[in-house]
Amino acid sequence: MLTKVLSAAHFGLEATPIEVEVNVFKKGFPGFSIIGLPNKSIEEAKERVKTALINSGIDFPNLKIIVNLAPADIPKEGSLYDLPIAIGILASMELVKIPEEKSFFYGELSLDGGLRHTKGVFLLALAAKSLGIKNLFVPKDSANEASVIGGINAYPVSSLSELIGFLNGVSEIKKLSHTVHGSLSTGYEAVEFDFSEIIGQESAKRAMTIAAAGGHNIFMQGPPGAGKTMLARATAGILPPLNEEESLEVTKIYSLTGNIPPGEGLITQRPFRTAHHTTSRIGLIGGGSDPHPGEISLSHNGVLFLDEFPEFPRSTLEALRQPLEDGKVSITRIAGSVTFPASFMLIAASNPCPCGYLGDPKKECKCTPRMIMKYQAKLSGPLMDRIDLHINVPAVDIEKLIASPTSSKTSRGAVANSRQIREQVINARKIQNKRFKGLKIYTNASMKNKHIGKFCDIDKGSLLLLKQAVNTYNLSARTYFRLIKVSQTIADLSPERSRRILPNHVAEALQYRIRTNS
Amino acid sequence: MAKKFNRKIGKEGEEIAAKFLLGKGYKILERNYYTKFGEIDLIASKNNVLTFIEVKLKHGDDFGIPEEMIGYSKLSQVQRMAEFYLMDKPKMAAIYKAYSIDAVCIMVGEDGEVERISHYENLTF
Repeated sequence: MLTKVLSAAHFGLEATPIEVEVNVFKKGFPGFSIIGLPNKSIEEAKERVKTALINSGIDFPNLKIIVNLAPADIPKEGSLYDLPIAIGILASMELVKIPEEKSFFYGELSLDGGLRHTKGVFLLALAAKSLGIKNLFVPKDSANEASVIGGINAYPVSSLSELIGFLNGVSEIKKLSHTVHGSLSTGYEAVEFDFSEIIGQESAKRAMTIAAAGGHNIFMQGPPGAGKTMLARATAGILPPLNEEESLEVTKIYSLTGNIPPGEGLITQRPFRTAHHTTSRIGLIGGGSDPHPGEISLSHNGVLFLDEFPEFPRSTLEALRQPLEDGKVSITRIAGSVTFPASFMLIAASNPCPCGYLGDPKKECKCTPRMIMKYQAKLSGPLMDRIDLHINVPAVDIEKLIASPTSSKTSRGAVANSRQIREQVINARKIQNKRFKGLKIYTNASMKNKHIGKFCDIDKGSLLLLKQAVNTYNLSARTYFRLIKVSQTIADLSPERSRRILPNHVAEALQYRIRTNS
Repeated sequence: MAKKFNRKIGKEGEEIAAKFLLGKGYKILERNYYTKFGEIDLIASKNNVLTFIEVKLKHGDDFGIPEEMIGYSKLSQVQRMAEFYLMDKPKMAAIYKAYSIDAVCIMVGEDGEVERISHYENLTF
């Protein structure tokens, strides 16, 4: 008998419905074959399905079984077809009744007949909603991803025998109620480093606050041991929580890559990703014959921290140029073209030269001019032009280091901790969210030029200052617009309520832009 | 020792299968036809179709059913042997224009009684 069960395949961030056709023949040599361009993980589904059925107390039929994954010309991968194949076989043997209402079956089987956490459930739920398919049978550990989407019924299935009982009307599976974004915790979670633990570096902290508030890219340069890495890691603690739309976008990517932990639904923490300089270009940008998102997409709406920036291969760094500008990355392979969002805030850290002490007031630099040139040439003009804030992180004075633990009692009030800075950042983001409502833009940094004219209120004095700066320092048109964006963020952070860009805001923005030492 | 035992089981299976096929109207042409690739258990004919038959016999189902022992590699081996046979006997090739590869699977219970004989016609993988 022939049965058809509905499941889905993923391509990029889209899920397409796949019909799993199962035929159990009454005659013919016993065998089990799967057709319809399956990859190795689906081939292995045979053994998983067979063992899971036997361990659920069902006699696996010694008959000829053919499974077709239709449409047959789309390559399929992943372990998610285990459940639809098992249900198809059971229905063909007339052991269960498939519901008349169209339903998605999705999930990997364990050998004991249980269902395992399977990636991509969130994308499946989105597809179900747009296709008007009501019911979803998904593994219990992944079901929370589906419950985030309203208007569908997500049934958390813990084992095959439980589902058999439910489909036959013997037992009950309670469908999950809709989880609303607001109900999830967005409270402060302590990270490795707190800003109050970093001694000195007040100007760097201020620049970090601006970068976090407006989502601006930032580049730090300084000798080894000055605290660049610490600053970057502490930034994770001042990032605002994701708003609802941002959260949905991030969850899409995390669901596709299987980065959502079992039992979790929406991602509410802003991503903070670090990539080592040995990360391959495809690992960073995304790619592969079946295109997968890279680190830049995994840090969408969050932060990507690249330590030892010039140590990255030149080709990897230059590949960042287009996503930095567009906030998305298009990957084209034979299988097709996929666009992943990649609107991230870049934090890059570097030494000024190979030995690290160029321009240091106390220690002599031992590099030859040729070595310094070679090192700095790694960071091309067009790439650095896309970074809004350039800061120097000098070595901390020994007097300050010694003084800090003893005087910490008295001066603690003066040093802002991460929690306080985060409040400022959240307030600035609230203003931005209000400003760009309905535009799918969340930060000043992702404004396009047309938005600047519409949203930024620049006073005459500021314009004059900008004009002078562009003429004196030969700044590019892109830099000009980026300066305005940073000025806007500084205005949003300031206590004045007008949000008007004033000359002192522009002056501060300029100070982060003009690099003097190199 | 084990080898001898295998041969005994094989012989037993072929006897049962041959009797069964005769009952179905087949004419047995060859038994244990040797080639350098191995041995064809039975070669029979019916309705002008030359049939190459692989016989499997199992005592009890502790180690699975006989059908599980016939896979892709076994079938391709039988196919190779069949081609060899047709080359070796051009007369046969001239008489018969259609060929098939079949399997006969026999289950024998603890007491030596035949529990089940299944005949699968025209196998392809």
